[in-house]
Amino acid sequence: MGKLKSKLGNGICHIYLIVLSVIAFFPLLWVLLSSVKSAGELSANPTSILPKKFTLENFTHVINDLNFIENISNSLWIAILVTIIAIVISSMAAYGIVRFFPKVGNIMSKALVTMYLFPPILLAIPYSLVMAKIGLTNTRIGLVIVYLSFSVPYAVWMLVGFFKTVPVGIEEAARVDGANKVQVFVRIVLPLVLPGIVATAIYTFINAWNEFLYALILINSQDLMTVSVKLRSLQGAEILNWGDMMAASTLVVVPSVIFFMIIQNKIAGGMSDGAVK
Amino acid sequence: MKRKLAMLLAGVMLVGSILSGCGGSEEPAATTTADGELEGDITFWHSFTQGPRLETIQKVADQFMEDNPKVNITIETFSWADFYTKWTTGLASGNVPDMSTALPSQVVEMLDAEALIPLDDVIDDIGRDRFSEAALSEGEKDGECYSVPLYSHAQVMWYRKDLLEEAGLEVPKTWDEFAEAAKALTKDGVYGCSFPCGASDMMATRFLNFYVRSAGESLLNDDLTANITSDAAIDGINFWVDIYKNCSPQDSVNYVTLDQADLYYKGKTAFDFNSGFQISGVEENSPELLDYIDCAPLPKINEDDPDYGAETSNIPIVVWQNSEHPEICKEFMKKLYEEDTYVEFLSATPVGMLPSITGISDLESYQSNPTIQKFSNAEKVISDAVGKSAALGFEHGPSVQAGLLTSQGVIETMFQQIITNGKDVEQAAQDAEDELNELFKSVQ
Amino acid sequence: MKRKVRRDYARWVFVLPAMIVVAALLIYPIFSSVFYSMTTKHLIKPSYEFVGLANYIEVLSDMNFWSAFLHSILWTIGSLVGQVLIGFTAALAINRVKHAKGIYKTLLIIPWAFPSIVIALSWKWILNGVSGYIPNLLVELGICDQLPQFLSDSNIVFITLILINVWFGAPMIMVNVLSALQTIPQDQYEAAQIDGASHIQQFWHITIPHIKVVVGLLVVLRTIWVFNNFDIIYLITGGGPADLTTTVPIYAYQMGWGTKLLGKSSAVTILLLLFLLLVCLLYFWIIAKWEKEDK
Repeated sequence: MGKLKSKLGNGICHIYLIVLSVIAFFPLLWVLLSSVKSAGELSANPTSILPKKFTLENFTHVINDLNFIENISNSLWIAILVTIIAIVISSMAAYGIVRFFPKVGNIMSKALVTMYLFPPILLAIPYSLVMAKIGLTNTRIGLVIVYLSFSVPYAVWMLVGFFKTVPVGIEEAARVDGANKVQVFVRIVLPLVLPGIVATAIYTFINAWNEFLYALILINSQDLMTVSVKLRSLQGAEILNWGDMMAASTLVVVPSVIFFMIIQNKIAGGMSDGAVK
Repeated sequence: MKRKLAMLLAGVMLVGSILSGCGGSEEPAATTTADGELEGDITFWHSFTQGPRLETIQKVADQFMEDNPKVNITIETFSWADFYTKWTTGLASGNVPDMSTALPSQVVEMLDAEALIPLDDVIDDIGRDRFSEAALSEGEKDGECYSVPLYSHAQVMWYRKDLLEEAGLEVPKTWDEFAEAAKALTKDGVYGCSFPCGASDMMATRFLNFYVRSAGESLLNDDLTANITSDAAIDGINFWVDIYKNCSPQDSVNYVTLDQADLYYKGKTAFDFNSGFQISGVEENSPELLDYIDCAPLPKINEDDPDYGAETSNIPIVVWQNSEHPEICKEFMKKLYEEDTYVEFLSATPVGMLPSITGISDLESYQSNPTIQKFSNAEKVISDAVGKSAALGFEHGPSVQAGLLTSQGVIETMFQQIITNGKDVEQAAQDAEDELNELFKSVQ
Repeated sequence: MKRKVRRDYARWVFVLPAMIVVAALLIYPIFSSVFYSMTTKHLIKPSYEFVGLANYIEVLSDMNFWSAFLHSILWTIGSLVGQVLIGFTAALAINRVKHAKGIYKTLLIIPWAFPSIVIALSWKWILNGVSGYIPNLLVELGICDQLPQFLSDSNIVFITLILINVWFGAPMIMVNVLSALQTIPQDQYEAAQIDGASHIQQFWHITIPHIKVVVGLLVVLRTIWVFNNFDIIYLITGGGPADLTTTVPIYAYQMGWGTKLLGKSSAVTILLLLFLLLVCLLYFWIIAKWEKEDK
C-alpha cells in the first residue's frame, strides 16, 4: 500500500516535471526553429513546427552584415573584466569585513545590501553625466566601471557569508608560523572559500552579461554595443526581420544555456552555503 | 534656508564629482592646418540603420576622408526612437555628435535648448533658391536657418490594386468610402487597415491628424494650445476607433511605425498610410506584390473638398553647437548635395526619398532609376502632397508644442484608453487635451 | 607602537578598494538625485531652480504615480508568488523522483540563461498577435475563435507579463532550494519515520525549518530585483497598452526621458528607493527572528 502510494507520488512528480520542462524548453526550441526559417515562411505558416526549407540566410546576414560576433565579444570581454575586478576587490573587502572589522562589519555588509537596492533607473542619469565628464561615454571601459556599481556590493555581500565559514583557528596557526596578513589571506583563506568565490564570480558574470539599461544609455557605436543593446537595435531597424532577431538570439542564448548546464552544480550552492551562514 | 540647503547639496555633489574623478577642460582644436587643409575628427549620427542608405552615406564619408586625409568621420546609427533618447541624454551630459540627421519636430526642441549652430552659409553655397521656403522655415529661428533638408516625403494612402479589383471596389476618395472598402477587404487573413497606437511612437497622432486636416482643422489652436476636442477631432477619433474595431489586428494597439508598415510589406493589410518607403519595404519582404501596390491622395471628408496634404516630412541635417569642427561638417554636407552623390543617395530608397532641392528630379540619372519609372504615379502623388503641407502640427509655424504633440504619446495613450478601457471618447479627448496643455506649460 | 600602526594600515588595505568603488559609484549619484529631485531640472535645459519638496508633492498627488505604484506591487507579488511556488514545488519534485533528476534540472534551468532582451524578443515572437505560434495554435485547435492578444488585450496583458517573469525567475529559486534541500541530514527523516511521522508532518517539521532562511533571503533578493526591474516590461510592452503595465521604474523612465522632467523623475526614483528600504528592513527583521528561533 505504502509502496503504491510512493509510486503514485513518484509518477505525479514526473508528470509535473515533464510539463514544466516543456514550458521551460519551448521558447528556446522555437527561437532555434524560427532562426532557420525564411522570412516568408515565418509569416505565412505561423504554426508549422519544422522548417519547410532549412536556411542559414538569417545567420549569414546577422554575422556578416551586422557583425554580431563583434558584439558578442564585447559582451564577453566586459563581463569577464567586470567579474575579475569585482571578485578581487570584493573578496578582499569581504575578508577584511569578517576578520578586521568584526563590530562594524555587520553594519557594513547590511549597508552593502542597501546599495543593491538602488534602482538602476535612479543611477542611469547621474552615470551618463559623470561618464561624459570623464570622457568614458561610448567606451567599453566606461561600462565596466558602471557595472562595478551593482557587482561589488552584491559580491561582497555573498562573499562575507563564505568567509564567515573559515575558522579563525587555521589562520592563527599560520600566523604563528610567521605569515603576514596578506600571505594568510592568499595562501590559507582563499583556497578554503574557492567554491564560494566561483559561485559569486558566476553570478557577477551573468548579471554583467545580461545588463541592458546602462548599455542602452552609455553606448552609441554599433561596434561597441553589447549583445543586449544590439539585439534591441535590430528591433528598431528599418525592416522588422524576425528571422534575423531569432538568429541573433540563438547566437546569444545557446552558449549561455550550455554555460548554465555546465556550471549548474557550482551556482547551486551559491546562496545557501554563503549568505545564509 | 532653502538656499543654504541647496548650497550644501551642491557642495556634496562637487565632492562627489571630484571623487569620481571628473573635471578638466579641453582646448578647442583648430579645424584647418596652416595650408587650409581640413583636419579633425567628427561624429555623424544618422537614422538610416540598414541597407543601401547606410552604405551610401558610408561611401560618401569614405570618399570625403580620402579627399581630406586628415579628417576622420565616425558614423553612428540609431533608430529614430533611440535617437531621441540619445541626443536628449547626450545634451544633458555634453555627449552629442558633431552633426546628425533629425526630425523637424525635434529640431525645434534642439533649437529651444540652444544646441545647434546656424547653417545659412551652407544653404547659400548649395543655392538658397533651390530649397523650398517652407522646408527651410522649419529650422528657422530669429531669421537664421539651423537645419538643411536632406530629403522630403509626404504621407499618402497606399492600397493593394489586386484586392480592390477582386472585390470590385474603386480607390476610395472619401473617408466613408475608405472605411467601407477597408471593412470589405478584412477577410482571409488580410486586414483592411491597421490602426497603430503604440505609446512610444506617434502613429495615432499622425492618423488622427490626417482626418483633422482633411476637415481643414488642426490639432493645435492658433495660440498653440492643443485642440483634440474640435468636432473634426472627435469625428476623427470615432472614425479610427471604428477602423480599429472592424479592420485592424487587435495587437495594433501596441504598434509602432515598423510593426505597422511590416503588415503592409508582407501583404497582410490592404490599406496603409505612409510615404514612398512602402515600395522598398514591399520589395524586400514580398517582391511578388510589387506589381499590386500603388498610392493615392489621402481621403477627404466629401469628394468635392479641395485637395490637401496632411503631413510632409523634410528630413534635415543639423550641426551641433558642441562641435569642435563645424567647418568639416559643413564641407561634408556640401559633399552630400553634390549632384552625383545626392542622386545616388536618393536612389537608395527610390520614391521613398524625394529630393529637397530643385534641379534633381529632372536629371536623367535620377529619372532612369527603374523603381522611379515603375512607380511614376506614386512619385507624382507624393510630390504633390509634399508641396501641400508641413510637418505635423507646423500649420502655425514650427513650435515646441508641435514636437510635444508627437513625442509624448498622449494621443496614443488616449486611443488606448478608449480602445482597451472603453473610456468615453469625449472625456478621453478632453483629458488628453488637458494633459497636452499641461505639458506645453513646462516649456514656456 | 610602530607595529600597531602598520597593522591598522594593512586592514584598511583590504576594504579600501571596495569603499572607493561604492563611494564613487553610489554616493555621488544618490546625492545628485536627491539634489535634482528638489529642483526644476530639465533634461536638456541648462538652467533650473530650487523648489524644495514641490516635486515630491506633485508626484504623490499624481494619480498615474499611484497607479504605477499599484502595478509595481502587483507585479512584484504576482511574480514572486509564482516564482517561489513553481521553483519550490519543482525542487521538491526533483528531490523526490528517483530517475532523470539531472535531465530535469538541466531542462528547467534553461530560462535562467535568457538575457532580458532575448526573453522579450522570444516571447513577443511566440505571442505575436498576427504570426505568433501560440495564438495561431489556439485558433487551429479551436480553443479560441479569434487570435488571442496576449500582449495587448487589457484583461490578460498584465498576467502574461507576470507569467513570463515567473518562467524566467523560477529556475533560480528551484536551484537554490534544491541545494538547500540536499543539506538536510537524512537521519532526521529516518528518525521521524521511526517515530511514525507522516510525510506532511516531516515536511512541516523538518524540511520547512531547514530551508526557510534560504527561501527568505531569496525572496528578499528577488523582491528587490523584480521591483526595480525595468528591462522586461520596457522591452515587451513599454508600459502599454493604456499604461496598464506601467510600473514605477517605467513611470520614472518616461518622466526622465519622455517628458524630460529630470527633477520630478528623480523624486520618483528616490521614493522608490525609500519604499524598498522599508520593505527590506521588514524582511531583515523577519529573517533575524527566524535565525534566532533556529538557534
